Amino acid sequence: MKLRVRINGADHELEARTDESILDVVRRELGLLSVRETCGIGVCGACTVLLDGEPVSGCLLLAPLADGREITTVEGLGGDDPVQQAFSDAHAFQCGYCTPGMILTAKRLLEETPQLTEDDVRAAMSGNLCRCGSYVKIVEAVLQAANA
Amino acid sequence: MSDPRATGSARYAEDFELPGMLHARIVRSLFPHARVVRVDASAVPESCIVLTPDDVRDLSPYGCQIEDQNVLAERARHVGDPVAAVAAPTPEQAEEAVPLVEIDYEQLPAVFDAVEAAQPGAPLLHETAAAGGAAAYFAMRPQPGTNICHRFRIRHGDVDAGFAEADAIVERMYRIAGAQHAHMEPHACVAHWDGNRLELWTGTQTPFSMRDDLATIFGIPPEAIRIVSLPMGGSFGAKTFVRTEAIAAALARKAQRPVKLVLPRSEEWQTLNRHPATVTVKLGARADGTLVASQTTCYADTGAYADCGPGVAQKMGFAAPGPYRIPNVRVDAYCVYTNLAPNGAFRGYGQMQSTWARERALDTLAEQLGLDPVELRLRNIVRDGDVYCTGETLHDVRFAECLEAAAAAVRWSEGRRGKGIALVMKGMQTPSRAAIAIERDGDDYVLRCATTEMGQGAKRALSLEAARLLGVDVARIRFPDPDTSLVPYDTRTTSSRSTYMMSRALAEAVRDPRGYGEIRNEGGLDPDTGQGIASTHWHQGAAAADVEVDEETGKVTVTHLHTTTYAGRVVNRLGAELQTEGSMIMGLGTALFEEVAFEDGQVINANLSDYATPSFADVPTRFTYELIEEDGADVHGLGETALPPVPPAVGNAVASLGIEVDELPLKPETVLAAMKVRV
Ligand code: FES
Ligand code: FES
Repeated sequence: MKLRVRINGADHELEARTDESILDVVRRELGLLSVRETCGIGVCGACTVLLDGEPVSGCLLLAPLADGREITTVEGLGGDDPVQQAFSDAHAFQCGYCTPGMILTAKRLLEETPQLTEDDVRAAMSGNLCRCGSYVKIVEAVLQAANA
Repeated sequence: MSDPRATGSARYAEDFELPGMLHARIVRSLFPHARVVRVDASAVPESCIVLTPDDVRDLSPYGCQIEDQNVLAERARHVGDPVAAVAAPTPEQAEEAVPLVEIDYEQLPAVFDAVEAAQPGAPLLHETAAAGGAAAYFAMRPQPGTNICHRFRIRHGDVDAGFAEADAIVERMYRIAGAQHAHMEPHACVAHWDGNRLELWTGTQTPFSMRDDLATIFGIPPEAIRIVSLPMGGSFGAKTFVRTEAIAAALARKAQRPVKLVLPRSEEWQTLNRHPATVTVKLGARADGTLVASQTTCYADTGAYADCGPGVAQKMGFAAPGPYRIPNVRVDAYCVYTNLAPNGAFRGYGQMQSTWARERALDTLAEQLGLDPVELRLRNIVRDGDVYCTGETLHDVRFAECLEAAAAAVRWSEGRRGKGIALVMKGMQTPSRAAIAIERDGDDYVLRCATTEMGQGAKRALSLEAARLLGVDVARIRFPDPDTSLVPYDTRTTSSRSTYMMSRALAEAVRDPRGYGEIRNEGGLDPDTGQGIASTHWHQGAAAADVEVDEETGKVTVTHLHTTTYAGRVVNRLGAELQTEGSMIMGLGTALFEEVAFEDGQVINANLSDYATPSFADVPTRFTYELIEEDGADVHGLGETALPPVPPAVGNAVASLGIEVDELPLKPETVLAAMKVRV
């Protein structure tokens, strides 16, 4: 199928199969490699993208469901986004594989709830796993971004 | 500008591609032990390349310590053993081709428990318990006619006489479940042949072992192989030695095209896990708490192939007595084949298992003697200049300090109900060799060494150290991905050795006019007596936990977790903190719920929903740690030290409530069962 989708601010018409995930499409068609597959079943958040601003698992989102909608990946934040900056400053990563998903989830959380406590962050981000165990510094980064 | 990890521009092995490459999938055995009688690939479309046992008959068996594994199995020894492989123009086509390869099997009897497998009469996995291959770096002691591929012993003093003197004796059997590394990036590699030269881009902690093993397999000189180790999205020991690379290379040889192989998540559980173990500990002490004898028997279940299991069993064995003065010590450690998926290196490498057993046994002993567990440990703790049961003298010893600090952190003196404490004494790869070359490129310095990056921050630590030694800004240090055709030989990036070894080699290189530095740590143990040098450098630490147990469900909640680690001189503070936090959190997973579950040899929780790893919700509300630093001291690797003491600290805390659990993980069912026989 032809998939019409706005990605990181630009309109695209992409070649996609109806049975594949948006994760596979953005990696293959656009080289947006920050969207990564770990579990493939919606439990780890490594594949998180924003769909019309809401974090969703890219591994579960079938390509046709993104048709006509807007997708943001971490590449689309530009690099100077306060959340990206806060993750860098707090050094909230080790291997960094989970980081894009963490940042996108945090981004939406901060938009919704600007006044955050540590518990809020933990609860809201519990669908994102970090096997390196960088959780403490990730919470710090999100709180830092909230206060920035 | 933000760090590449935050902008999304970081690249991993999984992202590497070559023009014209094919995508591979492995066809795996459905049975735990079976002879492959027929492989029929006639239904596979022409566009796919199929690799069958016929294609690899000219290839030699391999293994980093015992050469017992073939590129494809003609006798499958575990569910998931690679029997064939396919390569296709797209990953989807490769996936679709897998079920089209028809395989007939003839099933053989199988064994799934290491203790059972070690008994005479158990079904044998490898007819000739293989003699140590050339790649082994210590003497192997396979026990012919059994599934024991290595036996390690320590003989120190006279344990029988010791136990005869004891006023109290504790003897218990401990079981530790297998675990999955669950690194977020799967195993991924790309293989390419250029004539008779093999090039391989892969996420590996062991580029030189990989090169040497592939040279053995393909019968070509090591110099004809180039391994580039790309950054890894986590590894924790899983991306070591040959995993998927030989199959990718064999497929590329047949296809005459580059081949990329990325493991589907579920196949990670069929590729490598952590050794399940059964450890029996017997401790004897006088009434005043003085330890007089220690006896440990370890069975490390290495699965279908030895991999580095002999080394794991040996470390499990030599770390078992722990940081205590004990005049009479006996250790027997066995590495045993079973028909489970291979087990190998995992953060903490063998020492987690024996630390759990010993530290739990010490608390049971303290209880029996009516002593405070901290008191009992302090009474026996090793001090500077003491001689370990291997005959080596211990230097720069900080165990007492670690223990006291950890006890203070959980306010031990104010009451110890719900609290537990444990110590770890962890060895580092010995013997080993590290080398580095520093090249000038304009104003920049280029570090050429084989230290790999898996998120542990080695590149950062060594760059900072190079900048400090050279007296330049760290921005002028470059550290390209290790490429075996460009960097000097290094043993491997494991056992928290790289910052320590490589920073010393670096100091040499800075002093050397040619910019080359090399460091060796010599040593090793006699496998029959355990005498020699186990580790030129010991990692030292303690953990303390405060827990609550839900009386109805048996669920354990850790309300406070603390570790104290001796860090020596800290090179990369953020890295040291992150590695410590990560080790503690992984330790909690091991303590509370991580377990590879099997049914008839088949992993039944091979996905990240049924196999849970710690999430934000699992980090205790109080989560503290301290690094004991010493200016001018050695650099101590910190990649693993805070993991092994966490499970026993939690287990001892649970035991302080009268709930004695000898088995890891402390899952609710296990805890509930222990509550029924509460002491
Ligand atoms: S890969 Fe999509 S949630 Fe894990
Ligand atoms: S930093 Fe490695 S998985 Fe999060």
